[in-house]
Amino acid sequence: MLKYTLQRTLYMILVFFIITFMCFVLIRMLPLPTLPPGDIHYDVIMMRREALGYNKPYIEQFAIFLRGLFTHFDWGLSEKLYTGQPVLDVFLMKLPPTMIVNLYSILWTIPIGIALGICAALKKNTWVDYSISTLTMVVISVPSFVYAFLVQYIFCFRLRWFPLILKGGTDWFSFEMFKSMIPAILSLSFGVIAGFCRTTRAELTEVLTSEFMLLARTKGLTRTQATVRHALRNCFVVIVPGIFGEFIGILGGSLIIESIFSIPGVGSLTLDAINSQDYNLFIMSTCFYTAIGLAAGLVVDISYGFIDPRIRMGSKK
Amino acid sequence: MKRTLALLLALLMIVPAVAGCTPKKNGDDTGTGTSGNAGPVEPGSYQITEFPADATYTARSAMSKIPGNWNPHDYESDDASTIFGYLVDGFYSITYNDALHPVEGRDPFTTYTIIPAMAADMPTDITEEVKAAHPDWIPADATEGYAWSIPLRDDLYFDTGYKITAETYVQSMKYILDPRLGNYRAADIYNGSQGIVGAEAYFKQGQTSLVPFDNDSTTYADFIAAGHTDDEVYIDIDGFWGIQTADGKTFACITDDTMIRDPAIEEGQPEDYVSAKYLWDNYLGPNGAYAGSGYDTAYVGYLKSYAADPKFEDIVGFYAKDEHTLVQVFKGGVSGFFLYYGGIQDSLILVEPDVYESCLKQDETGAWYNDYMTNKETSPSYGAYSMTSYQADKQVTYAKNEKWYGWHDDVNHVYMDPNDGNVYRTNQTTNIDIQVIKETATRRQQFLMGQLTTFNLEETDFEQYGHSEYAWSYPSETCAGLWLTGNMEGLTAREAADGFDTATMDVQTIGLKSFHKAMAVSFDRQAFCDECHPAYLPGFGLLGDQFIYDPENCLFYRDTDQAKQALCDFYSVDTSKFASLDEAVDSITGYDPDAAKQLFQDAFEESLSLGYITDADNDGKCDQKITMQFIVQTSGDDVMARRVKFLNSNVQEIVKGTPFEGKVEIVESAPTADRWLDTYRTGECDMFIVGVGGSLVNPYNAMGIYCDPSQNLTAAWYDPNSDMMTLTINGEEITMSVYNWYAAMNGTMVTAGGKSYSFGSADCDVDTRLTILAAVEGKIMQCYDMLPFCNFGSKILLTQQQFNVCDEYNPFFDYGPRRYNYTDAEWEAYCQEQIAAHGSLQY
Repeated sequence: MLKYTLQRTLYMILVFFIITFMCFVLIRMLPLPTLPPGDIHYDVIMMRREALGYNKPYIEQFAIFLRGLFTHFDWGLSEKLYTGQPVLDVFLMKLPPTMIVNLYSILWTIPIGIALGICAALKKNTWVDYSISTLTMVVISVPSFVYAFLVQYIFCFRLRWFPLILKGGTDWFSFEMFKSMIPAILSLSFGVIAGFCRTTRAELTEVLTSEFMLLARTKGLTRTQATVRHALRNCFVVIVPGIFGEFIGILGGSLIIESIFSIPGVGSLTLDAINSQDYNLFIMSTCFYTAIGLAAGLVVDISYGFIDPRIRMGSKK
Repeated sequence: MKRTLALLLALLMIVPAVAGCTPKKNGDDTGTGTSGNAGPVEPGSYQITEFPADATYTARSAMSKIPGNWNPHDYESDDASTIFGYLVDGFYSITYNDALHPVEGRDPFTTYTIIPAMAADMPTDITEEVKAAHPDWIPADATEGYAWSIPLRDDLYFDTGYKITAETYVQSMKYILDPRLGNYRAADIYNGSQGIVGAEAYFKQGQTSLVPFDNDSTTYADFIAAGHTDDEVYIDIDGFWGIQTADGKTFACITDDTMIRDPAIEEGQPEDYVSAKYLWDNYLGPNGAYAGSGYDTAYVGYLKSYAADPKFEDIVGFYAKDEHTLVQVFKGGVSGFFLYYGGIQDSLILVEPDVYESCLKQDETGAWYNDYMTNKETSPSYGAYSMTSYQADKQVTYAKNEKWYGWHDDVNHVYMDPNDGNVYRTNQTTNIDIQVIKETATRRQQFLMGQLTTFNLEETDFEQYGHSEYAWSYPSETCAGLWLTGNMEGLTAREAADGFDTATMDVQTIGLKSFHKAMAVSFDRQAFCDECHPAYLPGFGLLGDQFIYDPENCLFYRDTDQAKQALCDFYSVDTSKFASLDEAVDSITGYDPDAAKQLFQDAFEESLSLGYITDADNDGKCDQKITMQFIVQTSGDDVMARRVKFLNSNVQEIVKGTPFEGKVEIVESAPTADRWLDTYRTGECDMFIVGVGGSLVNPYNAMGIYCDPSQNLTAAWYDPNSDMMTLTINGEEITMSVYNWYAAMNGTMVTAGGKSYSFGSADCDVDTRLTILAAVEGKIMQCYDMLPFCNFGSKILLTQQQFNVCDEYNPFFDYGPRRYNYTDAEWEAYCQEQIAAHGSLQY
């Protein structure tokens, strides 16, 4: 297991550098926005690019970037969107609202989703199962921004229970802030609940019909005991990676939900950085998500071994 | 100039309550006349109606995006100027005329006047004085308009307490021109005739750059005739062809045959490698494809080297005469309205030196950065408001800047209400709250709950709110046109492509002028507007209704007889049948189905004779189907879909009974993304609707988009240099190219018939210029490439908390000042009551 982990980590670092280098070069290869002939700012733009070293060979620019990164963890300054500000500071400044809203959302949606899935599986082919399954299909088929507009219209505009948009300020854990987050949290939740419900129901239904469950019951375990001790543990091999995925998704944000509820998060940061050709900001966010994605893959793989001891990562047997 | 207007408008709209001012302290003329119908009201002869001192009035607005940088020296987006616009002020300001500020010959509230703001008085022309001290700054034969002395008020402060003097301006000028920083806005300081003398040399110190021939209004031939050689002529290879030399240079000599790889061309394909010499020989030189097109003067020029380490005081015409007197020296003569608009008015925005210094930083590569005005702490104000909070991508708030002189100014920052005759202070808004709200649905709900000051109506809102008493129209300055391709080369190439069956399909006909003529009268503009957006208005000329030809007196080009006659001539309106030109113009609809059918018949016959289409069975019907590609940038765009639907259904109806019945179709193109303009230019696609603008106060220059080949979208098939036009000017018949007429009316000396002409503002009377302008407009319309279609106006709902003082729209100050019906506390109570009773505010 240790060897496997080390091996994967090395691969991960290699892949990370390849992706980073590719992104570093590709963003710089994008053509500059076309200026009309005779635009008076053309000279200034060219001067600025020269001063920033963008006319040097890409490999030299990459080396300078790596030097700054490894000597004092300097990701550079934003050149376009947040001029003169360290891109790392910008990213960290925008991360909290995204993380908090998503965290609140999954903290209550995952238990509910799994509980509904278990309920449907245990009550398979009854009206309970049909109701949950039908509702799940409906909910999962509708994109989250539709819920967002509905939640905003019904709960914020008509009933006036919550503010229409996120409260301003950085008091992330105040009651007023939490209250203003609820519409966004609700909007994000429906899809997650439905997703976990469906996965749990499908997995649990399959496990419950397995022969080892019959064996467990014939050994004298009650239905509850057999379900909790054996069935649930088995179906979690599939569910847990999904939970990890949700937690990783926290960091990515939701472009549309953040847009609807005016959440100043990271949802559109990478896209904006590409559009405005803010090289340092783009590289910083790309590296972050690349690292998170690769690390998550590793963690999920390793987690299989802990959830189900029959799975041995890296074993040749 | 357009950016200048945006900035000026931003400054004017720093509060919703933008209002007039007062007569000047000394009663001097402001440049727009003050001895008009009502006569100036003496300061002190009126009582100011004060707003309650303890009340707050908050303006709440929404933006799609708050920029992360609003440094006035480096900003690139208009959003940034909105943010810093509340924090700055100008030397002079434009205000609408009222009883306190009468304008000669104009009724109150129909035009504007210029008043001092941070300046203590109007500027003084000191050209002769400066010329004597710095003969190299001003041409020897110039006597006025080049150097101006501006007296400053002595009560100017930043909100940090930093006192503003003439030296503060000089320091700010040094910062913006600092070559280490490469400030984006430095170009605004040195560009054009209103640029500051020596500013470019200071900014580009130690560098060599290419000066296009356009800058000196010269050409390659003139340059060579002056004794220069080809070795001194360079091409901007980056700007023209998108390539750079091996050592990163963006220009190369026309004799340089070093081959450079063009990354945009696949290796092995023609022109995968090009040299500057190749570009010269094949495109930009006298025998090149673009000879005389304007590209040969925009991308070709000579090199200029700037001295290293110059002393600012020695070369830049911008200095402090004393603590409260600033001197600006321009590269060209400036006077009248343009002295204040784009001249001394706004080319420089002050920065607080102490804060600015603390914001300068250098990274390890040696590059300089500046984070001035990137957060509340680095945003000192010398305007009406101070920034009180800033949260990136979320919210920015402002409150009264008590150190701003205007809050206590009883002379310049007051106006007389036309309705009640009382005198009020210009600024009533005490707080400003700007939030990022991207979604229209969210904005609408915010507005209906009283949380936004205005809401821009969408098409779907018009049925409910279009006729609300709180709805206000905002016309656009430009007239959008239906552009049709005339690029026969591109259309022919399309037919030559694999899979194009010329027996059943045709696109060449689309490029025929006769076909364009038929299209011109095939669409009911009013119906188009009704169908596509209720705020749109039909448009019939290239220049929209808001272009002002006489900014001194706010006179609109479209109101002139010349402009009206041009429309009547183009639309074949017999003016003798109408009592007045106005009635004749009002009769224009641009829609004539009978004429359209006849014109389609003509187009059919021309196309048949040219072999573009066939009529094998001689039934008088076209054998081919003509499918026109309407350019869309992205798929699924509802606005575009609606336009295409309208155009297609109308053209199908019109061609019934003609040889093209059932044979013409308009469809959406494949998404073109950012290449949309290119697809039109190259003939890859056939049509689109777009409005092109220009400076609102310079309709003569705005014609450049049609007459200047370097700007013209139709340059690939229309050459304004060879399209001749004859006009009788002061009894003399003059024939010259459309381009030369355009250049001449913009003040360039041109030659025709062995004589030189210039019809700039300093060279002839305004009627002559209008005659030329209207003739050029008519001539361009007769190309039938751009068919005037509509004015993309808009309509907003204004909150019940505020009201507009004026009913008449003016492009400079909208509907004049806004005042408040309720204080913030009253407004909150009112909203709660209304929402409890009706669910939302009622508009």
